[in-house]
Amino acid sequence: MRRRIFLGLLGLYFGLPLLAALLYSVATRWTDTPLPDGYTLDHWIGVFGKPDVTSALLRSLLLSAVVVVVDVLLVVPAAYWSVVHNPRIGSVVQTIAVIPFAVPWVVVGAGLQLVTASFAPGLFGTFWLLAAATAAIAFPFMYWAVEGSLIAAGAVRLSEAAATCGANPVQTLTRVIFPAIRGGVVSGALLVVATAMNEFALAKILVGAKFETLPIWSARQFVSRTLGDPNALAVVTIFTFGFLFALSALVVRLGRGRVSTIGRTLR
Amino acid sequence: MNWAPALPLLAFTFVMLVLPATRLVNDTFALRGGGYGLDNILRVIDNPVDRQAVAGSLGLGVVQATLASLLGAPAAWLITRMRLGGRAFWLSLMNVASNFAGIGLAFGFVALIGSTGMLTLILGGLFGIEDPFPSTGSFTGMNIVYLYFNVPMFVLLTLPALSVLKDDWQEAAAVCHATRWQFWRHVGVPVLAPFVIAGWLLVFTWTIGVYAVAYAVAASPGSQKLITLQIGATLESSVFGLERAAVLSVLLMLLAAGTTVLYRLSLKRAQRWL
Amino acid sequence: MSHVVLEDVTKRYAGHVALAGVSVSVEQGEMLALLGPSGCGKTTLLRCVAGLTAFDSGRLTIGGVDMTGVPVRRRPIGMVFQSYALFPNLTVRGNIGFPLTVRRETKTGVAERVEEMLELVGLSEQGDRLPNQLSGGQQQRVALARALAPRPEVLLLDEPLSALDAQVRHRLRDEVRRIQHQVGITTVFVTHDQAEALAISDRVAVMNAGDIEQCAAPSEIYTAPSTRFAAGFVGNRNTLELRTSGGRVTAGGAFDVEAPWERVLCMFRPEDVSLRREGPGARALVDVTVFLGATTRVYVQAEVNGSPATVFADLPSRAAASLSPGDAVRLSVDPGHVQVFPA
Repeated sequence: MRRRIFLGLLGLYFGLPLLAALLYSVATRWTDTPLPDGYTLDHWIGVFGKPDVTSALLRSLLLSAVVVVVDVLLVVPAAYWSVVHNPRIGSVVQTIAVIPFAVPWVVVGAGLQLVTASFAPGLFGTFWLLAAATAAIAFPFMYWAVEGSLIAAGAVRLSEAAATCGANPVQTLTRVIFPAIRGGVVSGALLVVATAMNEFALAKILVGAKFETLPIWSARQFVSRTLGDPNALAVVTIFTFGFLFALSALVVRLGRGRVSTIGRTLR
Repeated sequence: MNWAPALPLLAFTFVMLVLPATRLVNDTFALRGGGYGLDNILRVIDNPVDRQAVAGSLGLGVVQATLASLLGAPAAWLITRMRLGGRAFWLSLMNVASNFAGIGLAFGFVALIGSTGMLTLILGGLFGIEDPFPSTGSFTGMNIVYLYFNVPMFVLLTLPALSVLKDDWQEAAAVCHATRWQFWRHVGVPVLAPFVIAGWLLVFTWTIGVYAVAYAVAASPGSQKLITLQIGATLESSVFGLERAAVLSVLLMLLAAGTTVLYRLSLKRAQRWL
Repeated sequence: MSHVVLEDVTKRYAGHVALAGVSVSVEQGEMLALLGPSGCGKTTLLRCVAGLTAFDSGRLTIGGVDMTGVPVRRRPIGMVFQSYALFPNLTVRGNIGFPLTVRRETKTGVAERVEEMLELVGLSEQGDRLPNQLSGGQQQRVALARALAPRPEVLLLDEPLSALDAQVRHRLRDEVRRIQHQVGITTVFVTHDQAEALAISDRVAVMNAGDIEQCAAPSEIYTAPSTRFAAGFVGNRNTLELRTSGGRVTAGGAFDVEAPWERVLCMFRPEDVSLRREGPGARALVDVTVFLGATTRVYVQAEVNGSPATVFADLPSRAAASLSPGDAVRLSVDPGHVQVFPA
């Protein structure tokens, strides 16, 4: 009985804020009554006709795409070489990966602002700095996923087997290794997308209003509540939540629980 | 060249992560007039707002880590004992909760327990309770909001560890005539404690580093000061020098480094028996 | 009076009968082996005695005391689990002392008994190690010592040797027997390994599909299995399905025994088969020989009552040396060692 009450309250606590946001996104008018006066899908239809929302969404998607490409290109060769040829790479990378894992991303942003201020002032406030910074904080998710699938696939034995069959290193990578770790790369990519879509601190510090991503748009609506559009914010909130949840469900399904999804949406 | 394929990644992360970190350390001690000293640090210590922010962040971290452990550990334990359907439901609920984050989460809570929030109006309308909830920007309010991601995180973090505790051990303890309480005292708690401590440390570390949710709920005047918010505000305004942001950043880095070391130690200790 | 008595014990899991009315008793100081394939209910039966699983109907008494409703932690039993279930955070001493500590015995009392048990299982040197610093065999001994430490009336062993490799398993099997004798404790031992059951126990209960098929001394189980299942499960046997005529079955001259059914299964052990160059018996051709050390297993193709059959014989290696594939031989079986069951 006690456990039922405990779990019930916990369930309520996790359900209610989501429910409130969901109701807000379909409410006609909701000011001083416990439940909305009526329900409508107008906000859902209307939001994606608002130019500031659609362009923020497109910016976030563009950022995610660039970040994924950068991380795949940087991480896959490094992880492969680490697992198959030089494990010391792995220990260096794991050490660096502690930085985005434990150090707040605000701090990373602060450091980057100071570095660019003295070395490359022109870079500050640009999309490219934001993309690079996001790629840097998201890379551990890609690295862990790829390294995990390389080990699970037995990349060392696969490489040796391919060599005994007469394959050269490039053929080994493209025909044997990459197909074997595709699941890991996709999982990593989904986690990187989830990070980039939801990342707020770096975007706020490094570019702010100059490149308004979806989280920055949400923050602007939220902070200026009287001027903003709470119904549109509710729609974007539920939309973002649904998007992130779908991504993590995909990752769980792909990785069968092997890939950790914890912690990517926290900061 | 045995490092070549990793060089792009290493160079990139060095420039984007290691270099900024060293730059922050440098700027913490670099004086405006040249040379190095502790002036920047002393100025932060002297600033009452910064002191409030440090106390607020540390307090929030400790309270969150403790509450998340107290709620999350039994929740995780109950989830592992559930039948398949119940477990799947709770795991997806935890996953759902951990995906409802950032500005959206702050919005959800304001829509629920804000001054015109759903629950506020229900409690006010039905039971006549005025102002049942603290402002989401207050210390208590932040604690209510933060638990939303910290409890699921703690649960997801410790679930794998709980499977370490085998059913056999409980049965063996029963055969040895141990009560449930004796089992937990002699075996269950000692085996799980390092995992719980590791979870506590991680929740603490991540809580003091939270920015997006904090930024949103602290938008109202008179709200709790936090280190990350002070850093963000300093970087945006040119009133204060950036070295203040550097000092606070280095403080967060030190905390992160310390908890990471302790986290590793406790996990290592947890593995010792397995 | 028997020490442990189970009467008509039944247990069902959702639509599956785990125990179909089992009755068995164990004498004071006796070691009873529960032998059967996986899923036959032997572990469920053991767990019912321990109180870890509740049975649906029937009765269990230990030392004449009805155990119905008595929780695990009030039963006079010690148990060794298949996985040993050693507490990982406690040393060897801590594990062995655990049942004494939770019974609130004095520190010195616990320490004395622990040393005694360490000596009994030959681990006096390893007392301060943690379980994960021990070999499988050592962990097994610790589990045994922990089970015996509080001087239980009954010792329950759930496949205690199955996780060990062959050599250690054989040594520990004899060791378990020695310790059981030395302590003189009533013991129930679950195993799926028939050699283990026959070697170690005073009586063997052969279980199948939730019931005991035969319960008898090892030699009787081996030589005179009472059911087809027991015959098939214990030891290697040749099995021939044959037609009878006039109440007898003659296997092409290999043997001639009484058989009161129309179609029968004839089972006999490979060591009861003789192969001779000439003389009486069924005609057969040597197929292949497998050298096993002291004996050699010889497979032959025989023609039995007009249809071909494969039979294997275990011969002393010296006798088998003269046989090579393709040789024609005469096959015969001592009729006293042929078991006949209805097909």
